[in-house]
Amino acid sequence: MSNSSFDYYANRQHGHDHAHDDHAPIAGQDEGPPSEYEIMSRAMQELLEEKGLITAEEVRRRMELFEEELPYRGSRVIARAWTDPAFKKRLLEDGKAACAEMGVNLEADRLIAVENTPDVHNVIVCTLCSCYPRSLLGMPPTWYKSSNYRSRVVFEPRAVLKEFGTVLPDHVTVRVHDSNADMRYVVIPMRPEGTEGWSGEQLAAIATRDTLVGVTVPRVRAKG
Amino acid sequence: MSDRAINKGPHDMGGERAGAIDTTDHGMKFWEKQANALRSTASAKRIVRVDELRRAAEDLGDQYYKLDYFERTTTALRTLLLEKGIITESELTAKMAEVRARFDVPSAPPSPVKKEAHR
Repeated sequence: MSNSSFDYYANRQHGHDHAHDDHAPIAGQDEGPPSEYEIMSRAMQELLEEKGLITAEEVRRRMELFEEELPYRGSRVIARAWTDPAFKKRLLEDGKAACAEMGVNLEADRLIAVENTPDVHNVIVCTLCSCYPRSLLGMPPTWYKSSNYRSRVVFEPRAVLKEFGTVLPDHVTVRVHDSNADMRYVVIPMRPEGTEGWSGEQLAAIATRDTLVGVTVPRVRAKG
Repeated sequence: MSDRAINKGPHDMGGERAGAIDTTDHGMKFWEKQANALRSTASAKRIVRVDELRRAAEDLGDQYYKLDYFERTTTALRTLLLEKGIITESELTAKMAEVRARFDVPSAPPSPVKKEAHR
C-alpha cells in the first residue's frame, strides 16, 4: 500500500486533512492500557518460569481450580453435615480432618466450623486481611475484602447483616469470628424447614457462599 | 472505637467507623485471576509464605489504602521476590518493558484478555 492511498483513507474517514498518526486508535483508548500491576504480575510470572521455579501450566491449573472447583466444595460439606449427624459432629470437632474425609485438603492449619442454632448466629470476617476458607469457598467476594466490612462487622454485626437483608430476632446472640492465616472458620447454617427428603445436591444448592460466611441464611423458595 | 493505637498498622481496621457495604460481588478481572493464581502457585511451591506476603503488604503504610486488593498482593509478591534475591530489580524492569511492548503492538488484533481485564 502506498502512502498516498493511506492518506486518502485517513482523510476520508476523519473528514479533515492534517497528518494522522494511525497508531493512536480510538479502540485502544476504550480498552485502556494494562495497569502497571498487570504488567508487573505477568513479568514476575515469566521470570519465575524462566528460572524453572514454576510453569505456566501450574498457574493456569490454579486459575481453573479457583474458578471451577473450590467455590463448590463448601456447599457439599455443609449438605453432608445436614444429612449425616456423625459427620457434623466430626466437622465441629476437627473441621480440617472432616473435610479431608471428603477429599478436601485445607491450606490453613485449622478449620473451625461454627453452628447456627435458634439462639446463636455466627458470622466470619478477617479484620486484618482477607483470610477465608478458600479451599471450601474459592476466592472471597469483593465485600469480604472491603475496608467497610472488615471495620464494621466486629462492632455492629446486626447493622451489617441488615445491609445483606438479614434481620435476626433480638433474642439471637450474634457471634463474630475473626479469622487469621492459620485458622479459618466456616458457618454451618441451620437447615431450613421444608427441605425434608431433599437430595445432597438440592441441599448444596441452598448452602450458598454467603450463608457459609454467615451474612445470610439459607432460604427455600415458596413453591409455585 | 477509633482511638488509633500508636503501633497500629494500616491493615488493622477492625472496629473502625466506616460506611455502608457494597454487598455485590464484583468478581475478578482477568489480570486479578492471573495474579491470584501466580501468588497461590508461588505459595504452594514454597517460594513465598503466606505470612511473608502479609508482612510485605502491611509494610505498605499509607500506600495500603491507595491500592486495590490485588495491587497490594502483587506489590507484596514483588517485594518478597526481590528481598529473597529470586529476581533482581533490573531483571524485573527489563521484563516489564518486554511485556509492556507486547501489549502495545499496534498491529495485533484486539486481545480478549486485555479487554476482559479492563471492563
